[in-house]
Order: sequence, then C-alpha cells, then structure tokens
Amino acid sequence: MTQQVKETGRENGFEPKIVGFLCNWCSYAGADKASLAQTPYPPNVRVVRVMCSGRVDPQLVLQAYKKGADGVLILACHFGDCHYKEGNFRATQRHRMLLKLLKQQGIDEERCRFDYVSAGEGEKFVQVVTEMTDTIKRLGPLRRKCV
Amino acid sequence: MKIGVYFCQCGTNITEKIDPEKVREEALGMPGVAYFKTVEYICSEEGKAFLERDLKEERPDRVVITACSPRDYEKTFRECVAKAGINPYFMQMVNLREQVAWVTSDPEEAARKATNYIRGAAARVSRHVPLEEKEIEVCPDVLVVGAGPAGLKAALAMAKADRKIALVEKSPMLGGMPVRYEELFPNLECGPCTLEPVLAEVLQEKQIEILTLSEVAEVAGYCGNFLVKIRQSPRYVEITKCIGCGECINPCPISTANQFNCGLNERKAIAFAQTGGLPNAPFIDSSACRRFEGEDCQLCKAACPVEGAVVFDDREKILERNVGAVILAVGSGLYDCTRFPALAYGKSSSVYTSMEFERLLAATGPTGGKVLGRDGKPPESLAIVHCVGSLDSRHRRYCSGVCCQYAFKFNQIIKHKLPQAKVFHFHRELVAPGKEEFALFERATGNSQATFIRYGNLKDIEITGQDGQSEVRYQDASGKKGKVVADMVILCPAVVPAEGSQHLANLLETPQDKFGFFEELHGRADAAQSKIKGIFLAGTCQGPKDIQASMNQGMAAAGHVLSQLPEGKKLKIEPITAFVNEEACSGCKVCRSVCPYKAIGFDAEQGVSRVNALLCHGCGTCVAACPSGAMEGYHFTRDQIFAEIEGVLQ
Repeated sequence: MTQQVKETGRENGFEPKIVGFLCNWCSYAGADKASLAQTPYPPNVRVVRVMCSGRVDPQLVLQAYKKGADGVLILACHFGDCHYKEGNFRATQRHRMLLKLLKQQGIDEERCRFDYVSAGEGEKFVQVVTEMTDTIKRLGPLRRKCV
Repeated sequence: MKIGVYFCQCGTNITEKIDPEKVREEALGMPGVAYFKTVEYICSEEGKAFLERDLKEERPDRVVITACSPRDYEKTFRECVAKAGINPYFMQMVNLREQVAWVTSDPEEAARKATNYIRGAAARVSRHVPLEEKEIEVCPDVLVVGAGPAGLKAALAMAKADRKIALVEKSPMLGGMPVRYEELFPNLECGPCTLEPVLAEVLQEKQIEILTLSEVAEVAGYCGNFLVKIRQSPRYVEITKCIGCGECINPCPISTANQFNCGLNERKAIAFAQTGGLPNAPFIDSSACRRFEGEDCQLCKAACPVEGAVVFDDREKILERNVGAVILAVGSGLYDCTRFPALAYGKSSSVYTSMEFERLLAATGPTGGKVLGRDGKPPESLAIVHCVGSLDSRHRRYCSGVCCQYAFKFNQIIKHKLPQAKVFHFHRELVAPGKEEFALFERATGNSQATFIRYGNLKDIEITGQDGQSEVRYQDASGKKGKVVADMVILCPAVVPAEGSQHLANLLETPQDKFGFFEELHGRADAAQSKIKGIFLAGTCQGPKDIQASMNQGMAAAGHVLSQLPEGKKLKIEPITAFVNEEACSGCKVCRSVCPYKAIGFDAEQGVSRVNALLCHGCGTCVAACPSGAMEGYHFTRDQIFAEIEGVLQ
C-alpha cells in the first residue's frame, strides 16, 4: 500500500472495524477492568469472547477479514498465567504461522496483532486498542479482494 | 426461530450512553428477533422474577440479554432461563455496560456498537444447541500415595470427614522424611515427635487402610471412579500380630547395608526400618535372607514370642480399590552429587550428603546421634556446601528453598554437639523466608565458630580427600582464592522429583513439569490440583517445599476432595467441552498432543480420537489444532463463532 493511500485512509474519516478475540480468563477480564476507570477508548474493536486464546485458529481470523474486519486483535494471558496452562503458547505459535499466511495473501502483518493482557491490565487493554485503531487508520481499509 | 432480547438499563449506567429506543428499531429488524424489552435492573430480584415470568409467557426459542459482563452474571441468567423451562445454553449475554456504555464517549457510536453486538449475539444464539449438564455417580473413597507429612495430613483430614482412605506407602514405615530427622528447622523441634500425634491418629483411624511396602501398579478410570491396582510386597511379618519387641532381630545371622541409614551402617535381614518407626513391626528383606537362597533358617521365627507373627510364606498381593480421587504425596529425592566430580562425593570418605548427615545426627541413626566420621572420630572442622545443583542453569534452575534452613540447623546442632568444631558455609545465595526462619539464620551467622564464604559458581569449589580429611579449595565471589581443611564435608543437593515419579506419572497420565515434578493446575491459584481432574497433589512431589508447606498442601488437597467430590452427591459434568466428529477424524492424534489435560483418548479399532468429557476443561486448543476440522467445542463451535463475527461486523 502506498504512502498516499495510507494518508487518505487517515484523512477521510475512516473508522476501522477491528475484531478482538479475547480469552475469557485474562484479556476479557482485562477489558472489563478497563471500564472501571470509565475513560473512553476508541469504539472500533468488536470483542468476540473465547474461552482460551488457544481456541483462535487461523480460520476465525480469516473469517473476520472476509466479513469486513480491517484488523484483528488476539489477546491472551501472559505466559505462565494461562488458565489452561499453555493455550496462550499454542496461540502464539499459530499467530506466527498465520502472519506468514497473511503475507501470502497480501495482508499487512500489522493488521493482525497478538498481545498479552492480564485480568488486571485495564490500562494495557486501552493502550492496545488505541494503538491498533491508530495502526489500522494509518493502513486504511483492507482491500477485500485480498481475502 | 423466535429470539427475545432483554435490554437491562442498569439504572442509568447503560441508558446514559445507549438509547434503547435507537437499538430497539435495529434489533427488531435482525433475523429471528421477535421482541425487545427493557428492564430497569435485570439482576435484581424483581428483574429476575420478571425475566422468568416473561420467558414463560413469551416462550422464545432463544434469549439475548444485554446487560453487564457475562463473567459476572452469565451463570445467574442461565439459571433464570432454566427456571423458565428453556435450555440454559439458549441464552447469550451482551456486555453493554463494561465494554460499551462505560467506555464510549459518543452516544451515536455507543448505540452503533451495541447494535453490532446484539446482531452478533442474535446470530450466534440462533445456532446454539441444547446442552445438558450430565451427572455421574462418585465413589467417595480416596487413594493417598505416600505417607509423609503431606499424605498423612490429607489422609487424616479426609478420614475425619468419614471417608475411607487407602494409604499406600512404598517403604515399610510411615512418616516420610521428617521422622528420619533428629531435629527440624527453624526451631530445632524433634522430628519424630512432631509427627508422632499425626501418626498415632492415623494408626488408630479405622477409616484408613495402611498399606506399607506397596505401590500403585495400575490405574484405570477417571475422576469420581478410578479403579486402582496396588502391589503390596510381602513383609513376612504380620503387623496385626507382631508386638514390636524386636526379639527376632539379634538371632539373624545375616548383615546387609542399611539403606534407611544411607548405607552408613548395617542391619539384619529382619529389621526395623528405624527404631520407633511405625507401624512398629520389622520386615524381612528377601534379597538378604538366607531362606530365599534355599536354606531353612528359622532363627527369627524361633525367637519370636508370638505365634504366627513371622510368616515365611507371605506372598506379593495385588489389591484392587475403587476410589473417586487420588492424592499424590510421594515426596522428592536429592540431586545426584556424583554429577559434580570436583566435589568428590563417593570418592572421598569425608564427603556426605545432607541426608547422610541427618542420619548421623539422629538418635536412631548409625552412630546413635554422635557426629562421627567414617574413621569413628568426631570432626574438628566441617564444610557445608550450599546450592549443590540448585540455582544452576546447567543443573536445576530453581532454589530448593529448604537447604539454607537445614544448613543453618546443622550449624546450630554442630555448635551444641561439638562446641569446638569450626563450620564453613560455602553458599551462593542465602535465603530465610518466613516469620520464624530469620531467627535461625541469625543464630547460625552469629555462631563464632562459623565462617560464611560466598562463591559465585560451584565450579569454583574443588574438594580433594586424603586420610579421611578433605581440602576445600575455593575462589569466592570476589575472586579471592583460598582453602580450608575439613574433616567432614556436607553437600546440600537440590531437591528433585522422587525416584519413580516418572513411572507414576505415566500410570496416572498426569503431566509433570519441565523439572519432573507433578505439574499443578495453576502455579498460584491451584497448586494442590494436578491438571487431571480427580488427581490432587500434596507436598514436595509438586515442587520443593518445607514440612509446614507440605502439610498445608496435604490439607488443601483433602479440602479439594471433600468439596469437589462430596459424598452422596453426583458429579456434574460441565457441558462446554470438545467433541469429535468421528466421520471427519483422520486419526492423526494432533488433538491428543496439544491437550493439557489428557482428556482425549484414541480408539485404535475405529482409528479416531475420543474426548472424555469428564476430563476436558473446554479450552478449545484441540479444536483450533485439528487439521481436519473434526474436533469441535460445544458452545464455541466454528459455526457459532463465525456467526458472531459476521454479526458484529455488519
């Protein structure tokens, strides 16, 4: 994508659609925690709750792009904190593989971010969501023919 | 399909940002949504009563509740829905409070986001299938493996709650390690006495079946219903008849190395594991006794004053027990010191492990509690080497936690027994956590005969032995070189998994951590549960710890059994589990390799994987891993998640 398109993406009031796959035990709880401060954050992320980040297989991510997402967030527990012990580790492995797949399809790596948000990290959740929204605004809408 | 949407206003918490009227119009246009009702506080008693009543009147096929976080209220509303006669899994919550209203500034955006979420939920819930919590009968009896502090405490606690316990111990006596220590840190209490009250109760407790010289041979089944085979080696002495007088021992003509004293002295072929060891009955070591070499020696039996106490034709027994839960409390071992050739263990007669030294200190030990070298002389100087294998990335990458404390204890006991003896502590780090431990540290460091030398790496210590004496050459952490002469060197090896842990782990299909300890369900929140339902962990088999922590974990494990497997109640099986579409399964077993709970079995005949719903925790890792799409997760199926994704993005 050229710099020009990127700039356009930001200027024409483009509001990205981002799907966030959040694990039930850490990241979803972290998102709930973020609300306690009642400070608004960008409304662009649509959360889909899964029991464990280890459930997020590439198909779910690809489906999100196919159905209109411009970006995907996968949020997991920190290493060692996974409710299911190692699901988050599997998730990182799959994410690495997924990035290669996305590259082949011409989807920018930055459109699929993996991060760790614990149940206590409300601020981190807000930070990740804000950064991701900025990133996708910069990248502009996903050209659907990629998918 | 009739979907009912209930919009909780949460007072003004939600409506302040999200206008239900804006959402209503959109929602009623969604496929299947038949009605949209607002409730002031749906979680209040009135709110729940309204919901139940209204569901009974409306009879929707599916329910969407837009309110707060499902983490807080999903269970509550599932119950409401179930009370109204609708399958509880036909309900989907939308988190409008925490994840929309409280965090979105623009009401237009908030309404749009809310609408997206409701569309996702409605699409998802329309694909929900009815799920049922299954119930199974539970056997209330419990198997406890290991009769050390952790196992004893657990067995006793459960027996007091009227549970029948099979207590399996591989050695001939109960008590584990502490009964072999003369004194315990941090307060130098008598080891055997500390455990005496627990042991006395265990021996008298009718609910506890004590099986010494026994080990687990086979395990089948699962949480609530294990079938365990226990192999009991013959003792050749009938415990119920033996009066523990020891008359049988002296006449025995055979002497053999006494493993209970780490081979530091000899015992007879018929012997007590330890004086005062319980149960108070000797055993015959068939590998040493003449009878097992074909001779008809009867000297022990002849000396025994009780008819039928010595039983030469005792045989190995395989006992079968049905139990609902298993507590593993098999303890730990010590790191092999011969892995450090420079420390001369096994080569120099003056180098001992801490366990050997404990036996030298013990009144029941080879020297009757006198600190004597192998030459029979009391040492004038002793060197204690801490961290032998611990805190070492090439050996054991953890702190064993107890070694500093017992080294300080040695320091104090040496001070009392041999006031003139010098003590050199070679340590890498020193730890004294806990409210009582620092006092012992202070006493040890305050000992005027003691010198503390900090080394940087165990490689910087070299021990050479000559004439029952050792020379310890060292380079301290600051790089300064030196040497001391020690009549006795005591090595403090890392605490490692007990011998046979691997075998037991295989039998029970219970995962071990990277060090070989039994792996806990969760390091902080659930250290007394293994990753396999119905198998619990207590004591040092889960990781290095002291006696207090072991006993506490024993109680914790007992608590888990009593609360998770209550007598008379049936065990509920959570319906959110994985399941295999057998027609699509290629039998590649990838699912088995990623399952952290060993919940997936393999049917070799059909060539397909099968999920044991009882063991499955429903994480979905296997679902994501299955290359054939044959594995699915109830309530989180691909179809349901796809529908939700599509809904929230529209």
